[in-house]
Amino acid sequence: MTDPLLSIRELRVRFDTDEGVVQAVDGVSFDVERGETVCVVGESGSGKTVACESVTRLIPMPPGEIAGGEILFDGEDLTEASEKRLESIRGGRIAHVFQNPQSALNPVYPIGAQIVEAIRLHRDVSKQAARDRAIDLLDRVGIPEATARVDDYPHEFSGGMKQRVVIAMALAADPDLLVADEPTTALDVTIQAQILRLLRDLQAEFGMSIVFVTHDLGVVAEIADRVVVMYAGRVMETGSVHDVFDRPSHPYTKALLDCLPGQGQSMRPIGGTLPDLKQPPAGCRFHPRCPHATADCRTGTHPELLPVGSGHDAACVYYGPGYDSTVIRGESVSESRAADGGDAVADSDSDHDTTGGDC
Amino acid sequence: MSMHWYVARRVAWAVVATYLILTITFGLLAVAPGDGQTAFAFEAATEGGDVDEARETFDEITGRDEPLLTRYTNYMVNMATLNWGWSFTRNQSVMDALAAAYPYSLMYAVPATFISIVFGYAIGLYSATHQYTLTDYLGTFTAFFGISVPNFWFGIMLILVFAVDLGWLPSYYQTGRGVWTLANAKQLVLPVVVLSTGAIAGNMRYSRAEALEYVHADFVKTARAKGADDWRVLVRHIFRPALVPLMTILVADILGLLFAGAYITEVVFQIPGLGLLSYKAIIQQDTALVMATTLVPVFIAIVGNLVQDIAYTVLDPRIDYGDR
Repeated sequence: MTDPLLSIRELRVRFDTDEGVVQAVDGVSFDVERGETVCVVGESGSGKTVACESVTRLIPMPPGEIAGGEILFDGEDLTEASEKRLESIRGGRIAHVFQNPQSALNPVYPIGAQIVEAIRLHRDVSKQAARDRAIDLLDRVGIPEATARVDDYPHEFSGGMKQRVVIAMALAADPDLLVADEPTTALDVTIQAQILRLLRDLQAEFGMSIVFVTHDLGVVAEIADRVVVMYAGRVMETGSVHDVFDRPSHPYTKALLDCLPGQGQSMRPIGGTLPDLKQPPAGCRFHPRCPHATADCRTGTHPELLPVGSGHDAACVYYGPGYDSTVIRGESVSESRAADGGDAVADSDSDHDTTGGDC
Repeated sequence: MSMHWYVARRVAWAVVATYLILTITFGLLAVAPGDGQTAFAFEAATEGGDVDEARETFDEITGRDEPLLTRYTNYMVNMATLNWGWSFTRNQSVMDALAAAYPYSLMYAVPATFISIVFGYAIGLYSATHQYTLTDYLGTFTAFFGISVPNFWFGIMLILVFAVDLGWLPSYYQTGRGVWTLANAKQLVLPVVVLSTGAIAGNMRYSRAEALEYVHADFVKTARAKGADDWRVLVRHIFRPALVPLMTILVADILGLLFAGAYITEVVFQIPGLGLLSYKAIIQQDTALVMATTLVPVFIAIVGNLVQDIAYTVLDPRIDYGDR
């Protein structure tokens, strides 16, 4: 296997605020392979957006600061890259789509001009050629009569259409990686489905990787190849979408899935709120809200990610020595398994359920 | 509704506003006591003339004894044909007096306006993009100083320091030194500094506030995500949208500077521009001249509003022509 396109290693990002230092991202690691879609899931404030915007240093600095770790993009550490270098990567190789299409476009320029700007920042082409490409892209993302609408202003488009324009703009320079931060959250449900389908089609066509930030597990089931579950600035669980949905291995992931409506049983919200990231709790970040928390969870440092299956990791003490992991996994795993006496590294991937995952 | 219709309506409104202002001014003058006749007679008496004869002459010149409607018609026709009357204190027509004074006002107002816009906006944008840094605080402090310090005091202090103590610059303005000479430039330095200080501060505060609205806007983040460099982001994605609201202040600033602040500055530095002309006319009750020097700023304000409204159509694609 070749190296991953993007490899985030032990990333730490903090914000220096008047009230104190907020450790928004505290040792996050995950990989994005070429052509795959990785969903970063978590509640608001879990650090998922900050982690993804740190990749191209889009977070405001100051007050933000990348305090440690590596961001390896195609082998190059972006935390060391100069601002000039990042400008050529932003939009050129890593493109972003943000949450709110209503405000993502500059209100005083026609949409075509904004796409042309993105093209000409990265490609040495004439204005006319860039304009032709802009019309092509608009057509490709499903703007009807793109030739006629290229000179219209953002306020003349609906929210869903604006998001299509933003996506067209992101594709301007044929990026290798698209970072989509809750791109469907601000849209109607029917439009959401259209945009998701569009992104999936475009990925197949352009062969790019997608990092998709969302708090909506329904969307995750729809689009993800792999899932990274974040909580309070840490990765709680990571694995393929099937593993994470069928065999959630962290109490937080389980709690998130239990929040989903339409599971037959009664939906259970997670009690409590996110911890204060200026003074995160000792031990596991999730222990104040965890039904399985033990004395070990309340002291020391946050547990490391431990393998619970092939390419499936969870950061929970129950997978360490001296714990019975079935306490966590047993409830929702269909096949009950014998307690494996302490060493809880999940046995094999023979029992991976590869069907479904939809929710 | 189309843009042409919108512009046509704005122009029509400007004409109506002008008409209303002229009529109200006429009404006020008609009911006001001491319309200059006394001052005129006094002037005649001090020069050894006959007081009653002077009163009659005054009435004849101004047409005071005509019926109200005739006077109103004459007044409107005179206004429209730019025949704005006779200044008895200066013994020249009001138009000539204005024409003579105007260049002196422009000589310091143009550089002051230019300096205040360039520096004010530059500092304001810098402050907005470097919010809460030391340079931002320094800029803000300077701005508050500039806004707070009264022009007349600041002017006098500058004269004391740079003209009286140091002797580097002349303490007051003298005519007859040409326009493009070093001597003229030197005597304009202090007035320009006084006028710019307050205006830079105002521009800086406004542009900082407007730019701040956009510094953290989503579309600015989009622009950065596209790979635009800082300069491009600042000019195209922060300053350009901010220019829409700033336009209002910009137009008002350019026009307002010519008259409001200039009054005090011209009196302090004895520059024979419109401010000093108006000031003297008021003191000497030269009604025709007072009217001219106060109506000119009013007309400029009307034109300014018109320019603003039309500028919006160019700057802001979202403008709604519907119900304006």
